[in-house]
Amino acid sequence: MKKEPILSVRNLKTYFYTEDGIVKAVDGVDFDVYQGETLGIVGESGCGKSVTSLSILRLLDEKGKIVDGSIIMEGKDLLKLSEEKMRSIRGNDIAMIFQEPMVALNPVFTVGDQITEAIVLHQKTDEVTAKKMAVDLLRKVGIPEPEKRVDEYPHELSGGMRQRAMIAMALSCKPKILIADEPTTSLDVTIQAQIMELMKELQREYGMAIILITHDMGVIAENSDRVVVMYAGKAVEYAEVKTLFNDPKHPYTWGLLHAIPRLDIEQQRLYNIPGVVPNPLKFPKGCKFNPRCEFAEEICRREEPELKQIEENHSVRCHFWEKVEEAKRAEVGERV
Amino acid sequence: MVAYIVRRLLLLPLILFGISLIVFGMIQSLGSDRLLAAYVNPGLLDKLKPDQLERIKDKYGLNDPMVIRYFKWLGNTIKGDLGWSVVGKEPVKDALLHRLPWTVELALYSIIPVVVVGVWLGITAAVNRDKFVDHFVRIFAVVGWSFPDFVFGLLVLMVFYSVLGWFPPGNLSFWADEVVKSPEFRRYTSLLTIDALLNGRFDIFFDGLRHLIAPILTMSWLWWAYLLRITRSSMLEVLSKEYIRTARAKGLSERVVINKHAKRNAMIPVLTVGGAMVIRLFAGTVIVEMVFNRTGMGSFTATAATQLDYASIMASVLFYSLILVLGNLVIDILYAATDPRIRLG
Amino acid sequence: MRSETKRILRRLLRNPSAVIGFSLLIFFIVVAIAAPLICPPQSYNPYMIPIVSWDLTPKPPSDGHPFGVIAGRDIFYGIVWGTRTAFRVGLLVTLISTAIGLFIGSIAGYFGGWIDEILMRITDIFLSIPYILAAIVITSFLGMGLNNVMIALVAFGWMAAARLIRGNILQVREEQYVLAAKALGVKNFLIIMKHVLPNTIFPVLIQASMRIGSLVITAAALSFLGLGAPIGYADWGSLLNFSRNWLLGASGEAFKYWYAIVYPGVTMVLFVLAWNLVGDALRDVFDPRLRG
Repeated sequence: MKKEPILSVRNLKTYFYTEDGIVKAVDGVDFDVYQGETLGIVGESGCGKSVTSLSILRLLDEKGKIVDGSIIMEGKDLLKLSEEKMRSIRGNDIAMIFQEPMVALNPVFTVGDQITEAIVLHQKTDEVTAKKMAVDLLRKVGIPEPEKRVDEYPHELSGGMRQRAMIAMALSCKPKILIADEPTTSLDVTIQAQIMELMKELQREYGMAIILITHDMGVIAENSDRVVVMYAGKAVEYAEVKTLFNDPKHPYTWGLLHAIPRLDIEQQRLYNIPGVVPNPLKFPKGCKFNPRCEFAEEICRREEPELKQIEENHSVRCHFWEKVEEAKRAEVGERV
Repeated sequence: MVAYIVRRLLLLPLILFGISLIVFGMIQSLGSDRLLAAYVNPGLLDKLKPDQLERIKDKYGLNDPMVIRYFKWLGNTIKGDLGWSVVGKEPVKDALLHRLPWTVELALYSIIPVVVVGVWLGITAAVNRDKFVDHFVRIFAVVGWSFPDFVFGLLVLMVFYSVLGWFPPGNLSFWADEVVKSPEFRRYTSLLTIDALLNGRFDIFFDGLRHLIAPILTMSWLWWAYLLRITRSSMLEVLSKEYIRTARAKGLSERVVINKHAKRNAMIPVLTVGGAMVIRLFAGTVIVEMVFNRTGMGSFTATAATQLDYASIMASVLFYSLILVLGNLVIDILYAATDPRIRLG
Repeated sequence: MRSETKRILRRLLRNPSAVIGFSLLIFFIVVAIAAPLICPPQSYNPYMIPIVSWDLTPKPPSDGHPFGVIAGRDIFYGIVWGTRTAFRVGLLVTLISTAIGLFIGSIAGYFGGWIDEILMRITDIFLSIPYILAAIVITSFLGMGLNNVMIALVAFGWMAAARLIRGNILQVREEQYVLAAKALGVKNFLIIMKHVLPNTIFPVLIQASMRIGSLVITAAALSFLGLGAPIGYADWGSLLNFSRNWLLGASGEAFKYWYAIVYPGVTMVLFVLAWNLVGDALRDVFDPRLRG
């Protein structure tokens, strides 16, 4: 069943023009987001995943510019909309929650104020109705005594409750897409699980799509339907989650998965992808991953590979993805 | 918040005590004989009989050890006996009371342009960061902050008085002064401009205002530059915070983001600093009143210093320090009231 | 380290206000050093402006007196040698008051407890008296003269530096506290100093250079009031003291005496501007780095 994606990102390029040079934070990212599904964007710090999400909502600071690409939602290219139209989409059709709720919420306004603000703005209700809706939302996200909490300030809530409040704020206008940028990274592990559960529940109820950004492979595995792996500003692999974990084709993905400690086999040492993430001002030539890649050859140092679709719902950006196949088969062979 | 205020209130007497010690210590360095001259009208001193002299010496503790002398001094000060003013040719307390209103008037009026111009320009510069407006405003501010107030005052005098004749020095024109001193002029607040309005004398009101414009300009010149820089950097810091991004992600217009979300947070530190600055504004009256030859606490202090009128000098120090300390307390309370993180602990 | 310095220099040079500030400062330094060459002293004390006329009315700029004459004294001479005075007062006071401040702040921060409380309360008390008033009062007790002015400015100028270093020490101590289960007193001290000193140097420098400007203004204000330098001393504030009397006297005529105000006034503004720009530039370069 071929669904139409609710959001299509093609060839997105976002550059930052700084004093020290041009930083190509996002340099070619393609993915689709489907209604009711979660797209995970995974990668190490600095790979461009956050910038990608900010580009969708066009929330970059002055130094950042989207220089190429298209983001199509319901037939319209978001990158070509006027700022006014974009504003009516933000918080309304597409909502976003951020990593650190303590700094992402305004400390001088009550939680309720910040939620009703969005409701009044997009749904044009009056303050009283909006506040009732805010209380209901707080209850829905699992905050006890919401009538009391709605008049409290962010610093009076615990970390987990603040994140729930942020979710409530984001969902206040029933968005079609929720972008969650590292929503659980700053929370305790147990709270993490609760928050992710909550998001899945709400996803089922509202039927919305979620773009989940994280560096944690475990979170991706449990909560995504499709995954984009990013490295140095580019999407290097794009697949359904089961495919990605069982059958990765990009050396970087393979490296990431390998680095996860295993309980089922004996490991002498924990695997580590050699090298470090490159300095965005001094990217290597050719494939950005080549200095750290076991399978790199001459062509990798010269030519940047294209993002190629090798199966239905599976794309890879690598010259030698078959080598990963071979290495995997060898490894499986070893184990058996 | 209550705990916060209580703590600040408890510190108050301690600080006042410390200031009183410094002031007292300095007076004592004069030695007993000169002290006497500071407490009593020198004109009368010679005419006193020995036992009257002894009574006075006893009153001020001049025969007692330092500690007792301090408490006697403290007691006298609180009762309002601050000694004799050579400059004013009257008891210091009266000299102060006569001059206080002028200074208060000047300082209060000066707050308005400082705050309005400083904060408004600071926000404008921060919102338009690195554009022409920002650069222009910042250059203006740096130059303003580099201008000594008396230099600016002299320039203002030169241009607006000597050349244009618009704003003369002094407090009032001669004719207005006569009216104010006459019994028909009722003093409601002791602040000239307000009293003039309350008396229905618009001509005096405008005359007073005319004499105030140049000093106000001079007083505020230094400080709006300072407030501008503080506001700008506070605003810039707030604009780079995450919650501003959240506000934009909700789809709010830029105007709402700045005016509602950013300003409210940016003004908190500005309030503290701005408040402290308002107090320093009072200290600025010393120079400005001298430059423009105005009657007031400032010129009183400066003149007293040159004439070595120690009783007046010390009283002035007490006065200005009191303003500073009380003013800081008010600011602390205001600050606690506006920042919910402190208000609710 | 070398490339760091190069980067810093490059960033400073790219900043136009930094360039202006440093250029002005260098200009003033040159003038100060070359004072005896520009205006050869004519008495045993080169700081006393020579009297060139017994007529006290101000005279406009002329051949021998490029900036004019006021109170019988050559304004140009006063400005050139006044540069030395300005530097002397500014640098000495800043140096000594910063040293005192660092000392007191270090003790407060290191020992903590009631020593810290007491020292901080004392700091609060000193901060409760407005700077210019404190200076006025002390000079009235000690007597006129620039040295007494400097003593007054130092006595009430150390507080900012004290708070700065105390804050830094407290910050470092917080981190070390976790480690210190069983710490020798000496070791603790060395650790704290090792972390505190490099982090403190730049903020102290920046704070000092930003204060010099307002310090010179305050000192000049005292001379302007007649409490600082003796009459006829080469001091910018003193020069302006003369002009004030002439301004307030005659209306309409006073513009004739513009040179008596403009030359010393502009000089003072440029001097303070130089320090403010330099301080700003230093802060722009170092502060963001310090913040991480």
